[in-house]
Amino acid sequence: MSAPLQTIRNKQPFDAGRAAYLTLNGLLLAFLLAPIAIVLAFALNPTPYISFPPVGVSLRWFEKFFRTPEFTNALLLSLWIAGCVLVLSIVIGGACALALARGNLPGRSFLTAFFMSPLMLPAILTGLALFQSYLLVGIGRPVWGLILAHTLVAVPYVIRTTLAVLHNFDRRIEEAAAVLGASPTRVFFEVTLPLIRPGVFAGGVFAFIVSFDQFPVSLFLVVPKGETLPVVLFNYMKFDLDGAIAAASMVSILLALSVVLVLERLIGLKAYVKL
Amino acid sequence: MAVASRPSPIAWLLAPALLLFVLFFVLPFGVMAMMSFYSGNPVTNPNAFLTTRHYERFIFDTAGIFHDALWSTLRIGLITTVVSLLIGYPLAHWMARMQSRLGHALVLMAVIAPMLTGIVVRTFAWMTILQDKGVINTLLIDWGIVSKPLPLMYNEFGTVVALVHIYVPFMVLTLTGVIGRIDERLEQAARSLGAGRLRAFVEVTLPLSLPGILAGSLLVFALSISAYVTPSLMGGTDVLTLPMLIAQQVGTSFNPNFAGALGVVLLLVSLAIVVAYNRILARLSGEQGLA
Repeated sequence: MSAPLQTIRNKQPFDAGRAAYLTLNGLLLAFLLAPIAIVLAFALNPTPYISFPPVGVSLRWFEKFFRTPEFTNALLLSLWIAGCVLVLSIVIGGACALALARGNLPGRSFLTAFFMSPLMLPAILTGLALFQSYLLVGIGRPVWGLILAHTLVAVPYVIRTTLAVLHNFDRRIEEAAAVLGASPTRVFFEVTLPLIRPGVFAGGVFAFIVSFDQFPVSLFLVVPKGETLPVVLFNYMKFDLDGAIAAASMVSILLALSVVLVLERLIGLKAYVKL
Repeated sequence: MAVASRPSPIAWLLAPALLLFVLFFVLPFGVMAMMSFYSGNPVTNPNAFLTTRHYERFIFDTAGIFHDALWSTLRIGLITTVVSLLIGYPLAHWMARMQSRLGHALVLMAVIAPMLTGIVVRTFAWMTILQDKGVINTLLIDWGIVSKPLPLMYNEFGTVVALVHIYVPFMVLTLTGVIGRIDERLEQAARSLGAGRLRAFVEVTLPLSLPGILAGSLLVFALSISAYVTPSLMGGTDVLTLPMLIAQQVGTSFNPNFAGALGVVLLLVSLAIVVAYNRILARLSGEQGLA
């Protein structure tokens, strides 16, 4: 897949196989990134409909986005929910990862797989199952129900990043602290917690994004007038494809990108390949 | 670590997560399965009775749409998986074999960035590219290559393109880890024994990365058969998948019980994949239980 059938050896100055390999990968990267660049172009393009090529640069779609209460309310709701999910999943997921790594639990690998399963099962079914449960219990569709639903699909990310950190760090550091006379509580707060903090935070960043961009879990759990941003965008897109959607997309992308930068700062992205 | 030690007090930290998962994951899926065997809501409607009619409706499929929906879900999932593999493998190979740390970080960033932009936003991006007045058709017409827009969207083609874009990062991340663990010297040995680069790749690296190929493919398949946003926006009236059918039953037909039955069908397919995926991953990672 990497090199075409050629007899050229890599000692020669021009390596056609290598060139083809790099060109192919360059094209694939372009395929990954081009759509995002195109959305940016449309967000800045002032024409009333999506049209190509862009004719100019304006902020009118951003203005429309921020002047439409339907969008701004949804944005605020999404931010609020994602903030709650961030806090909840850090606490629940971080604690769970500690228990999995340090609790000497029987069936540890089964438990880990169980806590990862919301990532593998169709999210739309998680939404449907919760919708039916709320319906059965007769509690309607409260915001806390949506927050806990998002937390459920966000917690696995925190568990995963925290476990990765726990897996890499040397237990002898904790043992050394204990030998030197620190109580288990003190070891926990002064050694373990600071060491796992980057993993927990990184997971929290993922949790925020998972909630902020969440669609399938939200679909059945939102109420009219109380829809999250992705749901509002989806409904809008079914009828209208104008620059406002592009601007809204840019707002989401910029939020996500700033979050990636924070993540890179915190632990370096490299830790993720090993997951 | 001691082999037969009892759970330590730290194990109690599992409690909040366990509570959340039991109340908001295990029980709800039980409720969904239960509802699929009822004619209505057994709590609010005293006349609701136990029935298998929702499953009969699916199995006998007199309307002739349910089986088609199941097949097109699986077909779209399969095509998406194969294309993601073909696109993801070269990228993963490149990344795993890259010497420069900076280059590695940049490519990784490029792979992860789309993952962080949301399904709705990325589907929107593909709509602007593939629609009749979109980027590709405008360019093709301007350059005189075609006289009228190609049907790139509102069909299975557009759906698959957008799905591949959304799920290929999962493939790349899974494969990079596996390819990175293959000792490069094996390939070099094959080459020094006279094998060409292609042959060394096909006979050494490719077979060794097979577990990664399987794990990545199962992951992408599981994700793409449960996709809802992309097929419903990109598929138009041409595409009807199981998740779309489920949403229809809840949203427009107000039949959550039948939706539950459809959900159970989709769940069974997904569970089979998850079990296979976990088996492969367990074999891959050996002792560490990081699913």
